[in-house]
Amino acid sequence: MSTGIRVAALDDVPEGEGIVIDKSVTGTEDHIALLRDTDGGVWALDDTCTHEDASLADGWVEDGCVECPLHSAKFCLKDGAAQSLPATRDARPHRVEVRDGEIYLFPGEAP
Amino acid sequence: MAAHVERIVIVGGGVGGVSTAAALRAGGYDGELTLVDAGEFPYDRPPLSKEFLAGAKDFEQLALQRPEWYDEQKVRLVNPATVTALRADRAGVELADGTFLPADRVVLAVGGEAARPPIPGGDDPRVHVLRTAEDAERLRSALLPGARILVVGAGLIGAEVASTARALGCEVVLADPAAPPLAGAVGEQVAAWLHGVHAERGVTTVRAGVESFTATASGLQARLSGEEHPRVFDAAVLGVGMVPQTALARAAGLEVYGGIVVDEGQSTSNPAVLAVGDPVRRRCDGVLLPRAEHWEAAQLDGRRAAATVLGTPAPAPTASWFWTDRHGLHVEAVGEPAAAETLVVRGVLGVPPFAAFGLRGHIVVGAVAVDDPTSVRAARRMIDRATTVDPGRLADPSADLRRMLRG
Repeated sequence: MSTGIRVAALDDVPEGEGIVIDKSVTGTEDHIALLRDTDGGVWALDDTCTHEDASLADGWVEDGCVECPLHSAKFCLKDGAAQSLPATRDARPHRVEVRDGEIYLFPGEAP
Repeated sequence: MAAHVERIVIVGGGVGGVSTAAALRAGGYDGELTLVDAGEFPYDRPPLSKEFLAGAKDFEQLALQRPEWYDEQKVRLVNPATVTALRADRAGVELADGTFLPADRVVLAVGGEAARPPIPGGDDPRVHVLRTAEDAERLRSALLPGARILVVGAGLIGAEVASTARALGCEVVLADPAAPPLAGAVGEQVAAWLHGVHAERGVTTVRAGVESFTATASGLQARLSGEEHPRVFDAAVLGVGMVPQTALARAAGLEVYGGIVVDEGQSTSNPAVLAVGDPVRRRCDGVLLPRAEHWEAAQLDGRRAAATVLGTPAPAPTASWFWTDRHGLHVEAVGEPAAAETLVVRGVLGVPPFAAFGLRGHIVVGAVAVDDPTSVRAARRMIDRATTVDPGRLADPSADLRRMLRG
């Protein structure tokens, strides 16, 4: 198990919002959306909505879910489970750790 | 849930029917669940006027659920099949082939048909409508580069078809007598700007209705109201609304009035029969609401119907929401923008991304956004929570909407 990639400071991601971590950094197939819930928790999912080409990092994050900015499909932050149509496929989750105000991403590792 | 509900039949595999099935399982229903659908598989309709019509998505990509989902969720898909009668006397439904499906509860998710007003000559095969994948395929074959296409009706479907046809290289005339079209859905100012985009993108807009079609040697002749000479087209598309499917409900003696009438929990006048989606009119607090006819509304109907059957709390009410795409612009509207007293524009109206918030006093009642989804998501929560807003901050694109929601 790796020590993770330091991808952002916690303060870089306001509550209720997300930022994109480029795949050149994560080494994953898709970019990764770093999403900060309204309770302050930080989660990571593949950035591209499983329905159509939209960035989940631009979505609305609230109460454990992110809502896609295009057609409002909802995904569970914890495990990426699709919560509503038009998404029919889950988003891939990645493990995140917050240490000393820094966010570390573990691309490809289950949360 | 009433202990005797062990068999549920959903009639119709659009977004309303499929959402009902999903919500029943998510809510813990473990009895028999049957979905009767007339098509090859339940599919999603919004792309029919956009990516599917343009040929950018194929039919399989329209599936409302993965093929394995039906087995995983123990939803028995009976298709292609058509329900011909509700049999309250025998507690079940009858299919066209004579099969009888017993049911303790029936959920009607029967949708509707594209309206075909009685225009003389309107039965010409070159006069299209758009409601099903078959309609879209037929229409696509007419949208050849250079083809002369008349789109009748500049509402959501008409505007999307005009945009898609233009992108495919057609010569498009878009006719609608309203000035501007969609004002009731997005408010006058945004509607006027949106309609103006058509001309900027090479669509000819005409403020007129169509009076007749005539087949001639040179093509399909259309006579538009107020015009001296008819125009000639290769094909026409009517985007003038839908006709709710009420025949089954009517034959079963259910209350029908401009749609299948249901209560707040989606029950029809027969408590064993519920109805969801486009053909439905809900009666809330004694007021019979108009048909919603939006994709998300059908989904919410399904969740409410499932909650009624399961006896669980109904999902929280929320402002209505829809999206539409035209000429590369993503438009979303929430609530009732047309009911606003004042309009607060965040950004510059006509320079996307922007959003127009409709206010009554300091309360948001509706919003429309172009390429600005965050504003609409914020507006929806402001409407749902009746948040008091400061119009000055709302208009400032640098002011944080999430913070305004927290007060």
